[in-house]
Amino acid sequence: MSDDLVLEMRNIRKEFPGVVANDGVSFDVRRGEVHALLGENGAGKSTLMNILYGLYRPDGGEIRLAGKSVSFSSAREAIQSGIGMVHQHFMLVPVMTVAENVVLGSEPRSGVLLDERVAEKRVADMAKTFRFAVDPGARIEDITVGQQQRVEIMKALYRNADILILDEPTAVLTPQEASDLFEILRTLQREGLSIIFISHKLNEVLEIADRITVLRRGKTIETVPSEGATEASLARAMVGREVLLRVDKEPAQPTDVLLEVRDLHVRDDRGIEKVRGVSFDVRAGEIVGIAGVDGNGQTELIDALAGLQKIESGTVEIAGHALTHASARAALDAGIGHIPEDRQRRGLVLEFSIAENIALHDYAKPPDAKWGWLFPKRMVQRARTLIREFDVRGGGPFTRAGGLSGGNQQKLVAAREIARDPSVLIAAQPTRGLDVGAIEYLHRRLVAERDEGRAILLVSLELEEILSLSDRILVIYEGRIVGEHTGDITEEEIGLEMLGGRETAAA
Amino acid sequence: MSTWAARLDNPLSARLRDPAATGALGIFLGAFAAFLAIPPIEARTVTWPIVVGIVAVALGIWTVSRGRRRLGWGAVAAGVLGIALGMLATRSSTENLGSAFDATLVAQTFSFATPLVFGSIAGMFSERSGVVNIGLEGMMLMGAFWGVYGADKGGSWVVGLLVAAGVGGLVALVYAFFAIHLRSDQIVGGTGVNFLAVGITGYFFVELYHNNPVPNGVSLLPNVRIPGLSGTGFFAQAIGDLNILTWASFALVILAYVVLFKTPIGLRIRACGEHPRAADTVGINVYAIRYGCVVLSGILVALGGIYLSEGPQGNGSFIFNMTNGRGFIALAAMIFGNWRPAGAFGAALLFGFSSALALKLQVYSSSAATLFQILPYVLTLIAVAGVIGRTVAPAADGKPYVRQ
Ligand SMILES: Nc1ncnc2c1ncn2[C@@H]1O[C@H](COP(=O)(O)OP(=O)(O)O)[C@@H](O)[C@H]1O
Ligand SMILES: [Mg+2]
Repeated sequence: MSDDLVLEMRNIRKEFPGVVANDGVSFDVRRGEVHALLGENGAGKSTLMNILYGLYRPDGGEIRLAGKSVSFSSAREAIQSGIGMVHQHFMLVPVMTVAENVVLGSEPRSGVLLDERVAEKRVADMAKTFRFAVDPGARIEDITVGQQQRVEIMKALYRNADILILDEPTAVLTPQEASDLFEILRTLQREGLSIIFISHKLNEVLEIADRITVLRRGKTIETVPSEGATEASLARAMVGREVLLRVDKEPAQPTDVLLEVRDLHVRDDRGIEKVRGVSFDVRAGEIVGIAGVDGNGQTELIDALAGLQKIESGTVEIAGHALTHASARAALDAGIGHIPEDRQRRGLVLEFSIAENIALHDYAKPPDAKWGWLFPKRMVQRARTLIREFDVRGGGPFTRAGGLSGGNQQKLVAAREIARDPSVLIAAQPTRGLDVGAIEYLHRRLVAERDEGRAILLVSLELEEILSLSDRILVIYEGRIVGEHTGDITEEEIGLEMLGGRETAAA
Repeated sequence: MSTWAARLDNPLSARLRDPAATGALGIFLGAFAAFLAIPPIEARTVTWPIVVGIVAVALGIWTVSRGRRRLGWGAVAAGVLGIALGMLATRSSTENLGSAFDATLVAQTFSFATPLVFGSIAGMFSERSGVVNIGLEGMMLMGAFWGVYGADKGGSWVVGLLVAAGVGGLVALVYAFFAIHLRSDQIVGGTGVNFLAVGITGYFFVELYHNNPVPNGVSLLPNVRIPGLSGTGFFAQAIGDLNILTWASFALVILAYVVLFKTPIGLRIRACGEHPRAADTVGINVYAIRYGCVVLSGILVALGGIYLSEGPQGNGSFIFNMTNGRGFIALAAMIFGNWRPAGAFGAALLFGFSSALALKLQVYSSSAATLFQILPYVLTLIAVAGVIGRTVAPAADGKPYVRQ
C-alpha cells in the first residue's frame, strides 16, 4: 500500500454554542483508499466533513491537501481543490432534472446560454461509464432515493473530485441499494479516487473500508486497518466501554393481565382493513414482541391502542377497564404510554424545548399547572430531573428538541412516557436509526421497566431486537396473529411465518 | 364485444370520458356562453347563452360525480356566470355593444396590461430567487412619482426612466438588506415599503408640486407607430400606435423567459429559490443572487410605475397613491401565471382586458363595469384554490437563508 497522503487533517477544533463538536481531531487519507469515519450520532463526523468541504470555518487546526496547507472559506474553493461531498441530506433541487442538478454552478455554455445538450450528454456518458442507470432528463422528485444518491456522486465526479466524502450514505438505502453502492465505490476506488465513508454501522464499515478512524464526543480515538478489527473492538472504541450487543435479562415473572385485546378490527385511513381480528394479552412484568414485515397492520394496531385510529370492532381493556372507543387523551389517562415509531413527527414537537416536550401530556395537571395557570418553572424543574435520570445529552431544559441527536430525542420521548408511570408501555420501533450506545441504553431501560411490573408491547421490524428482548413473540401477517412463541425459536422459523409461510396454508 | 373494445381503445372517446377533460370543457363552454351574446357573434336572444350555459353546468355536475370536485364546481360556476353575463349583454343595445367590443379594446388591454407585465416579471425574479416581494406596490408608486419628477426636471422622458429605475432599485436594495441580511419577516418588510412609499411620494408631491398636477409640457413616454400600419383597419387600431414601454413589456417577457430558463444564471436563480443550501454547496453565492434579483425587481416594477404617470393614461401627472393596488394585481398575475413569464403575461393581459372592458362598459352600465374590475381577484382566488391546475411557488420562497 502506498503511503501517499492526499489529505491530512490535524488538530481540528470546532465549537458551536454550548458544544465542542470537534476537539482536536486528526486523521489522514491515502491515495486510493476507502477511509471510514466511525462514530455515534453527535460524535462530530458531519462537522469535520463540513469543515473539510468549506461549509464551516474551523476554530483551530490545519488541513493539508497532498502536503500543501489549505484553508477554504467556501464550498467553491473546496470543490476547486478536488473535494466532493455527498451530504447526509441530499443537496438536490427536486423540481429540476438530473442533468441540471449535476451541472448547477459549473454549467456548460454556448454563448450566454446554458448548453443543455452538452449537459445531458456529459451526464449520460458518466452514467454509462460507472453503470449508474440514471436518466439525465428525469426530474429528481421522480427517481428513487438510490438514484438520487448516484446523482450526488455524479455531481462530485463532474467537478473532477479526487477525494469523495459520503456522509452516512447507507442510512437511506435498502440493503440491495447499499450493496449496489458498495459496488460503485469499489469502481471509483479503482479509478484512483480516495473515499471518506462515514457511518455508525459496524458491519458496513468492516466490509468497505481499508482503514477506520473512530471518533467519540468530538475526539479521535484511534485509526486502525480494517483487517484485524472486529465489531466488538470497534463498538468498544466508539462507545468507550464494553457494549453488550445482546441484552442481558432475567426470565420474566408475569402476573396480572394489564392489556387485553379481543378480536380487534381496524381500517387504515384509506378504508382498507389492516387489522383483522387480533386477540392477545400482555401481562404485568413481561415484554411481548410483535414481529412482522412492514405494512402488515402493526401501525394500525398501535394507533388503535393509543386512541389515534378508530376501532371498527372488537374490544380493548386496560387492567380490566374497557378502552375500546377512547380518545388519545383517554388512552393516556387510562395508563398507556406510547413511544411512537416516528419520533420526529409524532413523538416530539421539534420546535419546542425539551421542557415543553416533556410537559406535552400533563401540561394541564399539577404540578405543571393549576386552575388553568401554567407554571413554567415547575416544568423546567421536572425536565431537569428527567434529563438527569434518562441521561439525555446535548442540552438542558431550554434546548430545542430538534437540535438533539436521534438517540437523545428517543431518550427524551421515553423519559416523558415512562415518567407518567404507565401500566402498559407500547414501544414502536424504539431503536430505529440509533447507534449502538443508544440502542443498548433503550433496551436495558425497557427490561428495567418490565421488571418494575409494567406490561410492555414491543413492535419492531428488526427481528434481532424482537428475539433478544421479548419474553413472548407474536407474529403478525396480513392483520392476523399467525404464530405465538415463548421458548427458543430461530430467526429462520419466525422469518418464514412473517412471510405467511406456515399458517396461511391452514387459514 | 370487439367493437366495444375497439371503442374503449379509441383515445378520443377515452379522453372524453376522463372527468378532467369534461370539467375543462364545461369551464370553456361557460365562458363561451357569455361570448355568444357579444360581437362578433352577437346572438340577440338569450336562448343560446342559456342553452350553452346549461350544458356547461351539466358537464360540471357530471365531473363532480366522478370525483373531480373542484374542477366540476368550477365548470358549474362558469356556466352560471356565462348565462348571467350573456343575459346582461343581450339586454343592452347593439350600438353599445359595438362600441365596447372593437379594436381599441385590444389597444386598451395592452395599455392596462403594461404596468402589470413589468410588475409580474419583477416579482418573478425576486420570488424565483427566494424572496417574496409584497413591496412591489410601493416600489411601483415610487417609480410613478420620481419618474415624472425626473422627466420634469431633466427635461426628457429618458431622464425620467433613469430616475425611476434608480429610485426603484434603491428602495429594493434597502428592502433586500432587511429581508436577506437581517432576515426580517418579508411580509412585514414589504408592507413597510408600501406604507413608506405612500408617505414619501405624498410628502414630496406636496413639497415639490404643492399637490397640483405637474405643469404641462412634461416630456412623455412616446408611442411607437408601426410604419405602414395606420388608418382605421383592425390591426392599425389595435397595435399600430402602442407606447414604447408596452413594446418593451413584450420584449421583457421573452427576455425573462430566456434568462430564467435558458441561461446558467437563470438555473442558479431558480436553484436559490428552490433549495438554497444545495446551491450553496456547489459554490453559488445565494446572497449575491438574491440581492441582484430583488434589486432588479425594484428596477423593473418602477418602470411599470412610470408608465402610470408618464404613459398615455397618466399624461404626465402624478396623483396621490396613483398605483391603487396595481402592484398587488401584478403579484396576482405572477401567481396566476404560476411564476412563469408566459403565464404571467397571459394573466396580465386577462386582467388588462377586464380593466379595459370595465372602462368601456361604463358607457351603459357602471354596475357591470365595477363587476369586471373585481375579475382579477376572483380569477386569482380560483387559480390559487387549484381549479385550473395547481400553482406552485418556489419551495424556498419567502424563507431567509442562513449560512453556517
Ligand atoms: N449547526 C450546528 N449548530 C449547533 N450545534 C451543532 C451544529 N451542527 C452540529 N452541532 C452539534 O455538534 C455535535 C456534532 O454533530 P455532528 O457533526 O452532526 O455529529 P455526527 O455527524 O457525528 O452525528 C452535536 O452535538 C451537534 O448537536
Ligand atoms: Mg452526521
